[in-house]
Amino acid sequence: MTTEILWWFFAVAIVAVSAGVVFARTVIHSAIFLILSLAGVGAMYLFLTIEFIALVQFLIYGGAVTVLILLALMLTRMAASGEPEPTTGVQAPFGALVALGLMATLIGVAVSTAWPGDLGGSPVAVSIETIGEQLFQNYGAPFIITAALLLVAFIGAIVIARQEDGD
Amino acid sequence: MVPMENYLVLSGILFSLGVYGVLARRNAVLVLMSVELMLNAVSLNFVAFAAYLDPSKATGIVFAVFVIAVAAAEVGLALAIVIRLFRNRSTANVDEAATMRW
Amino acid sequence: MAEHAWILAAVPGIAFIAMAAAGRKLPRQGDWLAVLCATAVFALFFAVLASFLGLGENAWPVLNSIEWTAIGDFHLNMGIAVDPITIVMLAVITTVALMVNVFSVGYMKGEPRYWWYFAVLQLFVASMLMLVLADNLLLLYVAWELVGLSSFLLIGHYWERRSAVEAAKKAFITTRVGDVGLLIGIILFWDATGTFNILEIIHYVEAGAIGDTRLFVTMMFILLGAMGKSAQLPFHVWLPDAMEGPTPVSALIHAATMVVAGVYLVARLLPVFELAGDALLVVTMVGLFTALFSGVVAFAQTDIKKVLAYSTVSQLGFMFVALGAGFVGAGMFHLFTHAFFKALLFLGAGAVIIGAHHHQEMGQLGGLWRKMPITAATFLIGSLALAGLFPLAGFWSKDEILHAVDYGRGSWAFLLISLAAIMTAFYTARLFIRTFLGKPQDAEVASHASEPGFIMTGPLVFLAFLSIVAGFFIFGGFGSAFGFPGGFSEFVFLHHPEVFHVDWGLVGLSTALFVIGTFGGAWFYWNGRLDRATVIAEWQPKVYEMVQRKFYFDDLYQFFIDRVVLGFSYLVSWFDRFAVNDTGVDGSATLTGYAGFLLKHLQTGRVPNYAMAIAAGVVALTLISLAVGS
Repeated sequence: MTTEILWWFFAVAIVAVSAGVVFARTVIHSAIFLILSLAGVGAMYLFLTIEFIALVQFLIYGGAVTVLILLALMLTRMAASGEPEPTTGVQAPFGALVALGLMATLIGVAVSTAWPGDLGGSPVAVSIETIGEQLFQNYGAPFIITAALLLVAFIGAIVIARQEDGD
Repeated sequence: MVPMENYLVLSGILFSLGVYGVLARRNAVLVLMSVELMLNAVSLNFVAFAAYLDPSKATGIVFAVFVIAVAAAEVGLALAIVIRLFRNRSTANVDEAATMRW
Repeated sequence: MAEHAWILAAVPGIAFIAMAAAGRKLPRQGDWLAVLCATAVFALFFAVLASFLGLGENAWPVLNSIEWTAIGDFHLNMGIAVDPITIVMLAVITTVALMVNVFSVGYMKGEPRYWWYFAVLQLFVASMLMLVLADNLLLLYVAWELVGLSSFLLIGHYWERRSAVEAAKKAFITTRVGDVGLLIGIILFWDATGTFNILEIIHYVEAGAIGDTRLFVTMMFILLGAMGKSAQLPFHVWLPDAMEGPTPVSALIHAATMVVAGVYLVARLLPVFELAGDALLVVTMVGLFTALFSGVVAFAQTDIKKVLAYSTVSQLGFMFVALGAGFVGAGMFHLFTHAFFKALLFLGAGAVIIGAHHHQEMGQLGGLWRKMPITAATFLIGSLALAGLFPLAGFWSKDEILHAVDYGRGSWAFLLISLAAIMTAFYTARLFIRTFLGKPQDAEVASHASEPGFIMTGPLVFLAFLSIVAGFFIFGGFGSAFGFPGGFSEFVFLHHPEVFHVDWGLVGLSTALFVIGTFGGAWFYWNGRLDRATVIAEWQPKVYEMVQRKFYFDDLYQFFIDRVVLGFSYLVSWFDRFAVNDTGVDGSATLTGYAGFLLKHLQTGRVPNYAMAIAAGVVALTLISLAVGS
């Protein structure tokens, strides 16, 4: 019972801060809301008893990615101008419409589908050993490819963002 | 006891909010943040399925790991592009970069 | 030897290849090779003839064929068939070809493309011999087109002259109209009998393999081909224009050999024509109309070659009439004698043209007999043979035709063909009198006129000799002396050999026709006077103009081509330009381009718009799959 109340509290909080990310007028506020939202999703992983993913979430998203985003915000800071620019584009109302339609569809599908193997029970704890075995035995090749992908991506990021002569 | 559908609905809402951010906001960094929201929603979905439907194989969890890794790569690359864009055109607004057309 | 008669065609064929390849580099540009080849063919013909006669009547026709190709069950054989009709054709072709080759050495001296002229002459001889030797219609058709090609090349020999080019084109296209008919006829035969072999086709038809209507239609198509080649009405227009070619060519191709290919074809298929309902009546009518029509037109022509051309058309009409009456002997006999005296007349005209330095209008000639006695004498013999003077060659063959028409078609046709015979004598007299007798019309031309050398008068004398004696082949005794089974009609016949008897009544009648025509012509034109003819022309100027304009046939065709063909072409070109090109090809391109012009505005280049499209698409597809899937 206590778990459920806590869950609902977190769920509402996540939706709220996520809405804050997309609706906030200042980009810095959005970034702070994003950190909160990511942390909330990490908490959700704890509710699902998958501690490993929760840890990864806190470390990578809460730490590395947000730091990267804040850095990008600092580097792309505009010179202060007189009139504040609109933060949303002209197609925002249509975007809202599409997003609402998507939300209705997703919720409808999630609720109405009879999921196979769902016994209506509680989540089962998955030990970190199981994850490790899966990752290094059945998914060894994707794991290595992902490592290569990360390497390539970061080299690419450096090449693109590098200050060239004459820039 | 929290049923699985609650997680799915929550993830759906997060995903839709991310979609709205991508479609509506002008700032490129904010668009990226919205993409992160969508990726998070997807990861949550994967993990929820893994925990409720398939605990023995943990497939969804492995997928979540990959999603997070790819998201990290993606955000690094995308932010590099945003910085490049800003340096070339002195703006970080996505709707002002409109030269890729006829 | 008779079964190897194909060698006759092979010799000039090889000569053509050799001369076309190297003729220009040979000494004297290879004319000696042409004469040598013609002599060889002439000599080989006698070897074939001797062998053919030696085999005896039971061995005729002599056949020799090889399998050309086999497609499934269909075996296509190519080969030769030598029968009396073929022998007659071979005699005509080899003799006239030799004379013309020799004559050309003198006539074509110093002319452009001398070597090429002789090369094409050999090609013509080769294909003409192949045409008459062929045992099947397919090979015959190939040769048929080849002689048309050589005719085209030779008419257009002076291609620097626009009129020659036009004439060559006209000859080619006009005969092609008939050739299409011939091809359709051949295909119809093949469709009905499954063979191209002429003898087999005749057997099938005699066994009733083809229905009456269908057979009639087939024969009409075949006749169309024969009419085109033999310049019968209404396809005659090309032959007078073909006189643009060198005169020896006119003698060989457009008088003695190629133009009689149509007669040969009808004679060869006469057993089939006979069974095809009224087909023979059509042949007679075509021949009669042609004979009368061109006889009339010949009155008003002033170019000596044009007169001879219309005379040829008219005489070909005589042959068709004889064949239409069912007398293959009479038709082939006229072909045989006509070849000699008409070749003589054309070569004589060539000698006049050379002697009078390329003047061939009768208005500029006259009185030439003093300057050119040999030419005049031989020309006179040819003219009298053509007009039908007893006992020259033309007399006997015309007699045979009169007899055949009287016997086979009745008195109406007899009367008309007699009329045509009078006309023949009339225009022949006019031609000879205005060219050789009387006072010179143009003193300049007459004073410079001179007899050509022996190389040209030699063939004239030889042909004059043949024009006198060729007619005697009709007599049984004369034929037997040369080893033939008897007279011409006992050698060439359809069902039964006929022994020739002199019918003195007919002799008297045809002599009367000759006298009426000749003296009529002489009365009008004797002594170079034209006033009597002018009176007629002025009495009815419209009629005279109509005759002189050849009954407006050329104008009619020109009108037809200008209005109907070009009008239709204009319509087709309009359709092509607007419907196919502008609407279809350009139209689709324009439509695509315009659609692209409109659709490019969808491409804003703004990333959010694309993202929006993707998201909306995902939603839409999801909803659709939900709606359809459930």
